[in-house]
Amino acid sequence: MTPFLACPPLLGFLPPAMLAVLSAEQINRMLESLERNLLTPIPLCFVLGIVCTRIHGGIKIPKELYLSIAIFLLMSIGFVGGHELAHEYQAHGVSTIWKPALATLFLGCVTPITSFVVLRYLGRLSIADSAGIAAHYGSTSAVTYAVANSFVEQTQHPANSFLPTLVTILECPGIAIALVLGAALMARERAAKAGGGRAREGKLGEALYEVMTGQSIMLMAGLLVIGFISTMFMTEQAFQPFYDFFQSKGMLFRGALCIFLLEMGLVAGERLGDLLKVGPFLVAFGIGIALVHGFLGAYFGHLAGLNLGGCTVLAAIVSSASYIAAPPAVRLTLPEANPTLSITAALAITFPFNIAFGIPIYYEMAKWLGAT
Amino acid sequence: MQLYPLKLVTVVGEGVIMTDIAEEAMKLGATGFSITEVNGHGSRSARNVIETGGAKTLKAEFVVPMDVAERILTHVSHEYFEHYACIAWLSDVQVVRGQQYIS
Repeated sequence: MTPFLACPPLLGFLPPAMLAVLSAEQINRMLESLERNLLTPIPLCFVLGIVCTRIHGGIKIPKELYLSIAIFLLMSIGFVGGHELAHEYQAHGVSTIWKPALATLFLGCVTPITSFVVLRYLGRLSIADSAGIAAHYGSTSAVTYAVANSFVEQTQHPANSFLPTLVTILECPGIAIALVLGAALMARERAAKAGGGRAREGKLGEALYEVMTGQSIMLMAGLLVIGFISTMFMTEQAFQPFYDFFQSKGMLFRGALCIFLLEMGLVAGERLGDLLKVGPFLVAFGIGIALVHGFLGAYFGHLAGLNLGGCTVLAAIVSSASYIAAPPAVRLTLPEANPTLSITAALAITFPFNIAFGIPIYYEMAKWLGAT
Repeated sequence: MQLYPLKLVTVVGEGVIMTDIAEEAMKLGATGFSITEVNGHGSRSARNVIETGGAKTLKAEFVVPMDVAERILTHVSHEYFEHYACIAWLSDVQVVRGQQYIS
């Protein structure tokens, strides 16, 4: 429960800052929104998972079930995304798509750099640690997308239909940039130290290749292309059964998310002990950088013409950190990076924060920025 | 029954490096390998990839003659011991029809 305990001191700094910008009524609405978000099945299942680990309870989700749901979620995101992208393309050509896509690509390239700078120069972390953590924050969490999407649908402000495309765009560039940055800076540091350390040739290329061809990206991007092509060349009736399976009016998807979040709660709960090891700076970083990146996402999303739901979801995915695709890539390229820091930040700080507080906050941010 | 004395090299470590180690061992003279998923905990326990995400601790085993065993162990200790959670050990085995495992 420590992330939630860490919040009050941090939130202690926020209200004065917020009061300067928001009216009391808006803050009230935000608190209502937070309350509404927390008391729904998906975050509550996450909390259940955490509670279970703390009381040494006996919930055990079979690994294969978890992996199967992950595959289903990734395929759904890609497939429905591709389908909607095709519709959008048929209706408007690329006019409504290219700006959000560009904005997302831009954010994907900026977030690893902002993370790195804050970690290295504010947090005084080593190059390897900073780049490793930055690689996580430069990428995204598909689960955060799913939860954010579920939230905006519940508020009757569904996101633009082609949002899954943006999730796919966000996955790779951030990791690549952070790793290249980290490897380059480490090589420079090693050259400066006479004869200290050995270069790790070749692993960067291998790591980048694995990121581009990993399960998450292959399923999302692959099904996106499949959904797109199928929509363009099939009749609505022939396509319907496929669509129903993957979209199923959100029912299968949302139910599966509950099981998934339960498992994530179990995993995050195990890591709560690590929070004490990583120190207050990282806790503050996990929450602070999420808010900053979330704001950037909402801002550029609005600039690119996304609707209220779209801005919220984009904010959520830009602020989220990867904990599936990034860790092995970092491990291969920057083995000096301490894995406890990056995984704890991504999984035990930012992820729970986003699920509980972040998403409703980004929703209010988007509204404040004027999105509709 | 003909039994031939050979060495069993066992390497246990993080999933991300084990496939590389297996390939490199093949290049150093091993004629085959077996990889198993294991559960455990070590002094480093740098298990940064969440278990359910599919990453794991792997154990790789190679049945090789002594010179190849030495090459593999030297290579693994030089390349991986510094930064990765990894352990390697050598044991004696008697292999049925073992002559074919000497490359």
